[in-house]
Amino acid sequence: MALDSLFDPDGVAVVGASATEGKIGYEAMQNAIAYDAPIYPVNPSGSGTVFGREFVSSVTEIDGPVDLALSCVPGPVVPDVIEDCGRAGIGAAVIFSGGFAEAGEEGEQLQRRLVEAADDGNVHLLGPNTSGFLRPAEDLHATFATGTEDIRSGNVAIIAQSGGIAFATAFRAENEGRGVSAMVGLGNSANVGFQEAIDFFDTDDQTDSIVLHVEGTNDARGLLETCQSASTPVVAYNVGEQDVGDFAESHTGSLTGDHELYEAGFAQYGVPTVRSVAELYDAGTALADCPRPSGPNVGVVTAQAGPGIAITDRLKADGATLPSLSDETQAVVEEILPGITFSANPVDTGRPMPEFGDVVEAVARDENVDIVLVYELFEEGLGFPTETLEGLPEATGKPIVFATGGARAALEPELEKMTECDIPTYTTPERGADAVGALVNYAKRNPLADAVESEVNTDD
Amino acid sequence: MTDHIETATSTGRTTLTESEAKEVLATHGIDVPDGETVRSPEAATDAARRLGYPVVVKIESPSVQHKSDWGDGAGVVLGVADDDAVADAAREIFETADRQGIDAAVRVESALEVDAGIEVIVGGTRDPSFGPTVLVGLGGVAVEVLQDTSHRLAPVTEEQALEMTHELEASELLDGYRGEPAVDREAIAAAIQTVSEFLVEESEVSEVEINPLLARSEDVLALDALIALAPDDESD
Repeated sequence: MALDSLFDPDGVAVVGASATEGKIGYEAMQNAIAYDAPIYPVNPSGSGTVFGREFVSSVTEIDGPVDLALSCVPGPVVPDVIEDCGRAGIGAAVIFSGGFAEAGEEGEQLQRRLVEAADDGNVHLLGPNTSGFLRPAEDLHATFATGTEDIRSGNVAIIAQSGGIAFATAFRAENEGRGVSAMVGLGNSANVGFQEAIDFFDTDDQTDSIVLHVEGTNDARGLLETCQSASTPVVAYNVGEQDVGDFAESHTGSLTGDHELYEAGFAQYGVPTVRSVAELYDAGTALADCPRPSGPNVGVVTAQAGPGIAITDRLKADGATLPSLSDETQAVVEEILPGITFSANPVDTGRPMPEFGDVVEAVARDENVDIVLVYELFEEGLGFPTETLEGLPEATGKPIVFATGGARAALEPELEKMTECDIPTYTTPERGADAVGALVNYAKRNPLADAVESEVNTDD
Repeated sequence: MTDHIETATSTGRTTLTESEAKEVLATHGIDVPDGETVRSPEAATDAARRLGYPVVVKIESPSVQHKSDWGDGAGVVLGVADDDAVADAAREIFETADRQGIDAAVRVESALEVDAGIEVIVGGTRDPSFGPTVLVGLGGVAVEVLQDTSHRLAPVTEEQALEMTHELEASELLDGYRGEPAVDREAIAAAIQTVSEFLVEESEVSEVEINPLLARSEDVLALDALIALAPDDESD
């Protein structure tokens, strides 16, 4: 892969490495040494060692394999550093400093020089103006930010235009007790942009879904085409709803804002969209953990009426369909629970009970249902029906999503067990509904894939 | 009928006149009202007689984009009912244009019963990042105040174009509200599709707007049209 040198490097040089605590070159060095590969501190004015590694005066002086440079030096000297990288055969660099295209005419000129140096030396650039990237499973923390070692490995890849949003989403994952397969802040995207990053993580074994934060790009059409051709599900968060178009010639121009086009474009190209960092990560975990949904029909099973009503309301607003359950399913449900409160859809068992898992299974096996959303408040004596639900997503080929509420200490181990069964969990009714909403929209926006596949099979 | 576009770009113009734009759209299958472009008050009267009263009299000039705002209302006169009124309206346009030193002609068109339909806007832009895009919206107050629009990247399928009309908040109005007849939703969708394909094919065109497109029970009619062109150095 083209970006192996960036995301899977054999050695790392920290350019501008420093022994002074608090400096970017120190933090980046501290993060880098966790990675299982040679790490070289580079600084012409450095002497002795830092974190047990001897300073090297230039990347061209490194004796050993090195694919990636982390550039901690100020903007104006970056083009020279990248020129040296090219000469040293270093295939990728992360550029933390700002003052490039985001900072007016002079900055744009500096970025042009930077890209020229990168093109000449064949160097892939992440940034400039980025906080870097993380691959927790490899202990690769290509960043100067602190506390990133607590971000666990997971199956969602975050690709954000803003480094700040990248970290906001990754720490959200950590707070949720989950993790990420990668976190990438693109910054100015000098020569590695959405397309290149999406292509890379589409074929990454650890990545089961890709979540995007998009402010604006000069090739939105290309971004959309890349999303469409990815086989990994993609979900997107576009910021800028309140911005208006800056065309003046006509109503059409002033009515056509970028946000409208991103929303319309993502819908046309098969990508569900969300409206917050929290929702972005939730949608990512639903798409990553669940089997691919085959349609928008949601069966809801709830142990409490109120949350069930809130969920149903929210699901409908998200574009879901709540089909009637088949007579067969209704009969099974009534056999399990004679005199059940409401057995159509949602199925309301009235309270948690030992048979709750069997009811969920009956609904999951209903041919009218494409996706199952379960809500059950945690009850100490009963626990969750994890044993019954284990293997159900795989057996039915349908997403099963679990929403709940309870005291954190009691919930956490239980939810972890549920997640291990490929059933993503959410701790409010609406979060569960919105995560299912992303699955629904993914199914609605990618309707042809199955039909095309079966057509191909018939031709064989 | 791309000749109009070629002629305009070769003379450095960035917009087509209304009658040029309508002619271009008509060749792509979008109906426009009958009309003639004239150069004198006398010719305006002759044209109005041929078209039949009432008529609409409007300024036609590459320098004037917002016709109804032009010349204190002289730019568009609706419901003109006889020879004298046509000649007066046309004379006012020519004299105002002379005072402003702009080159202008007069467009005389058959007046339509606009109450017998709903005005919508159908348009499209060539966005530097997204490429060709299309929109549909309810016309008049709805589009200006409520911004009730639906967008897609072009080209769109017939199904997508139809879906766009259903996405409008005011979509129900198209089905006939409080006893009004339903308008031809398929014809609106066809116009959206035509604009979408036109933008995809004609790379010099930066913007198209049919505003209003009068949607009636049996068809749609482009009452006004704008086609803007991108200078060469921007179209690549």
